[in-house]
Amino acid sequence: MSATTDARATTEHASGASGVTDREDARLLQRHGLTRVPRDKDRAAGRARRAAGHLSRRPGLVLAGLVLLLVTAWAVAPHAFTAQDPLNGVPADRLQPPSAAHWFGTDHLGRDVWTRAVHGASLTLRTTALAVVVGVVVGSLLGLLAGFLRGWVDDLVGRVVDVLLAIPSILLSLAIITALGFGPVKVAIAVGVGSVATFARVMRAEVLRVSTSVYVEAARASGLRWPAVLARHVLPNSSGPVLALVALDFGTAVLAVSALSFLGYGNPPPAPEWGALVSGGRDYLATAWWLTTLPGLVIVAVVLAANRLSRALEKTGEDQ
Amino acid sequence: MARYILRRVGQGVFVLWATFTIAFFVLYLLPSDPAALIAAGGGGEVDQIDPALLEELRAQHGLDRPVIVQYGDALWQAVRGDFGASYLSGAPATSLVAQALPETLKLTGVALALAVAGGALLAVASVFPRARALRQALSALPPLGVALPTFFVGLLLLQWLSFRVPVFPAIGNEGAISLVLPAVTLAVPAGAQLAQVLSRSLRGTLGEPYVETAWAKGAGRGRVFLAHALRNAAIPAFTVLGIMVGGLLGGAVVTETVFSRVGLGRLTVQSVNQQDVPVVLAIVVFSALVFVVVTLVVDLVYPLLDPRIESSGITESRRSTAVAA
Amino acid sequence: MTTTSHSHRRRHTAAGGALAATAALLLSACSGGGAAGGSAAGAGGAAGEPVAGGNLTFAITVDSHCIDPQQVGNNDAIAVARQTVASLTAQDPETAEIVPWLAESWEVNDDASSYTFHLREDATFADGTPIDAESVKTNFDAIVALGATASLGSQYLVGYEGTTVVDDRTVRVDFSAPSAQFLQATSTFSLGLLAPESASLSAEERCAGKFVGSGPFAVQSYTQDQEVVLEKVAGYAWGSQANSHTGEAYLDTVTFKVIPEASVRTGALQSGQIDATAAISTVDLPQFDGNGFSLNQRANPGVVYNLFPNESSELAADEAVRRAILKGIDRQQIVDTVLSAQDAPATAVLSHSTPLYESLGDALAYDPEGAKKLLEDAGWVEGADGIREKDGKKLTTTVTFWQTPDALELVQQQLRQIGFDLQLNFVTVAESQAAKESGDFDFDYYNLTRSDPDVLRTIFSANARNINQRDAEEVDDLLDRSAATTDQAERQELVTQASQLLVEKAHAIPVYELSTTIAASEKVHDLKFEASSRLDFYDAWVDAA
Repeated sequence: MSATTDARATTEHASGASGVTDREDARLLQRHGLTRVPRDKDRAAGRARRAAGHLSRRPGLVLAGLVLLLVTAWAVAPHAFTAQDPLNGVPADRLQPPSAAHWFGTDHLGRDVWTRAVHGASLTLRTTALAVVVGVVVGSLLGLLAGFLRGWVDDLVGRVVDVLLAIPSILLSLAIITALGFGPVKVAIAVGVGSVATFARVMRAEVLRVSTSVYVEAARASGLRWPAVLARHVLPNSSGPVLALVALDFGTAVLAVSALSFLGYGNPPPAPEWGALVSGGRDYLATAWWLTTLPGLVIVAVVLAANRLSRALEKTGEDQ
Repeated sequence: MARYILRRVGQGVFVLWATFTIAFFVLYLLPSDPAALIAAGGGGEVDQIDPALLEELRAQHGLDRPVIVQYGDALWQAVRGDFGASYLSGAPATSLVAQALPETLKLTGVALALAVAGGALLAVASVFPRARALRQALSALPPLGVALPTFFVGLLLLQWLSFRVPVFPAIGNEGAISLVLPAVTLAVPAGAQLAQVLSRSLRGTLGEPYVETAWAKGAGRGRVFLAHALRNAAIPAFTVLGIMVGGLLGGAVVTETVFSRVGLGRLTVQSVNQQDVPVVLAIVVFSALVFVVVTLVVDLVYPLLDPRIESSGITESRRSTAVAA
Repeated sequence: MTTTSHSHRRRHTAAGGALAATAALLLSACSGGGAAGGSAAGAGGAAGEPVAGGNLTFAITVDSHCIDPQQVGNNDAIAVARQTVASLTAQDPETAEIVPWLAESWEVNDDASSYTFHLREDATFADGTPIDAESVKTNFDAIVALGATASLGSQYLVGYEGTTVVDDRTVRVDFSAPSAQFLQATSTFSLGLLAPESASLSAEERCAGKFVGSGPFAVQSYTQDQEVVLEKVAGYAWGSQANSHTGEAYLDTVTFKVIPEASVRTGALQSGQIDATAAISTVDLPQFDGNGFSLNQRANPGVVYNLFPNESSELAADEAVRRAILKGIDRQQIVDTVLSAQDAPATAVLSHSTPLYESLGDALAYDPEGAKKLLEDAGWVEGADGIREKDGKKLTTTVTFWQTPDALELVQQQLRQIGFDLQLNFVTVAESQAAKESGDFDFDYYNLTRSDPDVLRTIFSANARNINQRDAEEVDDLLDRSAATTDQAERQELVTQASQLLVEKAHAIPVYELSTTIAASEKVHDLKFEASSRLDFYDAWVDAA
């Protein structure tokens, strides 16, 4: 599971480890190219044209996009991809290897594993999305308040972030699950809390950068009250890097959610969550390789694609 | 310096206190009744629990007192290293953690070594070769490594190297050979992560003036690499150690489960499954302690390693040369 | 009472097994299975004379952090604990007859409320102190004092009035009400004897294995979550009549390794890292049938895996709904799909290896059309999604459980065919315990292993556990009377009638019989089941290296 901390790790680190200064945060953001995400709408058309050329030179990125589109389509319209029933199998056809009729083989109850993987997309992606939302909303809010209000609020948020960073994210998630119990929403919260610290830091650094800029100072000087400044100037201008980080966090969250559902803390059976699919195959390692390998590869493909996309976003930021 | 150390230690203690406090209150929100959990004990079924017995257990474990009193008491006990008795076995949580620790230390130690060696090798290999295609192929590996779920890697290794081709034993606690598969499993994401950081910073240092100077002076390709670029690139990577160790501790949860290894990770899963709050609390605080200590050490050692912090250009290049010589 | 348990999400293994009555069936099912009656361990059973010496490594699935025989309630812990104590009596696994062990003989009064035991002369605890009448009294008093912590033993001693030391070798145990189950209870590990000093230890110390027992093996070391090592007790010479020898155990040591992963257990047995285990997943079993290994299976006696309706909940209170579920389960398909070939579908509330078992025949036949008709007649009509509705309410309910979900997933699938939506609420052991205690569940799901039909009464009687949470009715009278008679024929009649009534009203919805399968390397011989399908290492031996 250290993989789940990974995508974050580089981000967290420079901030997390040591006597964190704002400068360090900024440097770190620069490394990820997160500070310079484009925010000028006028150039959108030009960017689109360049993007087309850009993409044609990057088949990997195109593939990543396709993978993400495909699993999203699985989640939205699973029946377009399979006519079989994800929950009701044909017991007589149990544990059949992959074939034309069953692309991913069948499981111990004779259910089609491909169908289960397709239908599992909505469960897994929904939990993942909720986890990211929890991380983004709570984290950004904390970062926003800390960066804008400074003073004791900043100190308090800083300390909370320190604590969140001090516990490996899976242990943090497990502690939360111990308290809340099992279930997809609880898993999402547990995973989301794990990324609160990262978002809080990035948001805070951004707010600090933006709020010392000339136009914000001007807005303040002209007597605008702080909620108005926050809403009108700071928030829109700080959101770019946070959005870029969302892509980064998505892959991490897929891994974390799968790991927790692998450990059995997600949806109850027979829900075909991806991690649970892999987990269900562990008793059949010696006899039915496809039960673990094929759903596992689906997870790998999605995480790779998400990470590839976030690197591309990063690059785009640097190119501007 | 002494004041700096004192301040950092103070911060560390604060983080530990806050971890304990937050974890205590989060876990206190548990919907189920701890007394019933204690009475249920080992997972066998008790058909009926006498309400009087529950009352007795509550009194016995101090669960009938106000939360804040319980917290104060628990904190005081925790300071003295006592996290209370496991609901499951009645054994002290601290001793359960201590008992599970050696196996996990072995596992994470070997995995850390593998990750550092493998990660460094991969980073160098993805920057060093002249052939662009080879560099590109190798640079694709770290992103793949971080995208692999730990449970998936573990199961694949088990399936292929223990069942299909029985090279390694399936149980993870029997001698050095049994450590191979779990340690590799755990090292994959950590190594990939290190390779990413290291190759990024390698590419950065290759553009630094002193490296270019060394090129200009006609130093060999390998020498420039090892003596200058790698050494300097390693320093930022070194600071990731705290995160990496934390990541390995977290990764042990899945790895030990997959390989049925004894250790802290399996204790965690078991305690979460049984809602054994004292043990979960002890593990969370312990992992925070590890993080605090590792980052403290890194922060204290870091200035000694990084020449740019204490001195500038000239001494810097002399030092590098000295090491290379 | 125990739920036969393996750690949750873990597959328990499957098997068929038999009492003498069904031995013929067993023999045809697993050829070369050694001695019949589910005693001897598989193919190696007939390989010559036992040799003393050697060590055996056995994998268990979970460490529940307690190995005190008087406290444990989990199958894996029981496998360890059983070996460390001797009991007053033993139960013959083939005939279910109670035979002498520490007690040479006994008398029971007419209404089964007073039991007198005559102890043998020579038996001692592992530390050499003699097993006398006083020590028996100390043990029983201590179990009652442990209360719920001794979850099984205290159940067996419900109504305990006290133990009287008649003389050094004679004790009398008195109950305030008839308790016909007590004689069989004295054969269990739960009422096994510990040295009197152990009674004064704390429950935790005893859990950690610090007790002095009376069995053929003693605890050498116990490392939590890792392993328990038992060593043989020198000088032990009072094996029960249910065993095939009486002297010291043959094995020098037995090491129980905790291996939670099914795949790892399979790999470990294959590679010789362990010698035997009772927890190989169903699909991996065939590879251990021959090929240098042997299988030995036996159904656990007691109440089979059942769906237990909580009749204080609205839906489960409807008899038509309960009976529809009963008819809508295809028990044979469950055995064919998720269990092994030797496993048996439920044919009664009790498993076929339980004394006084009688098949209920067609009462448990798969009858989806009958189920649908019952629901139609009760006003449940099929909705758009195939799930029935009545007055705008869906025909949906929840079963709360912590065991491996395979069989229930299939039940869920089958019930959907009759328009019934069964939700699976897969929880931790602790949560399931809490749900049971608060009565906050629609359907419960578990089995109870015990080699005495009294288990039926303890679960269902409105005057005992009352799992259905219903008012007393006819069946409770039958059940309560069955506890009060020592006449086997009369008891048989009462138990069968009660069992019929429970199924007729669908207070019980039996699913399948849990069984235990020992998979062992062929160098292991005579690793046996005792009457309750608990493992017995006393007669076991291994080929000389």
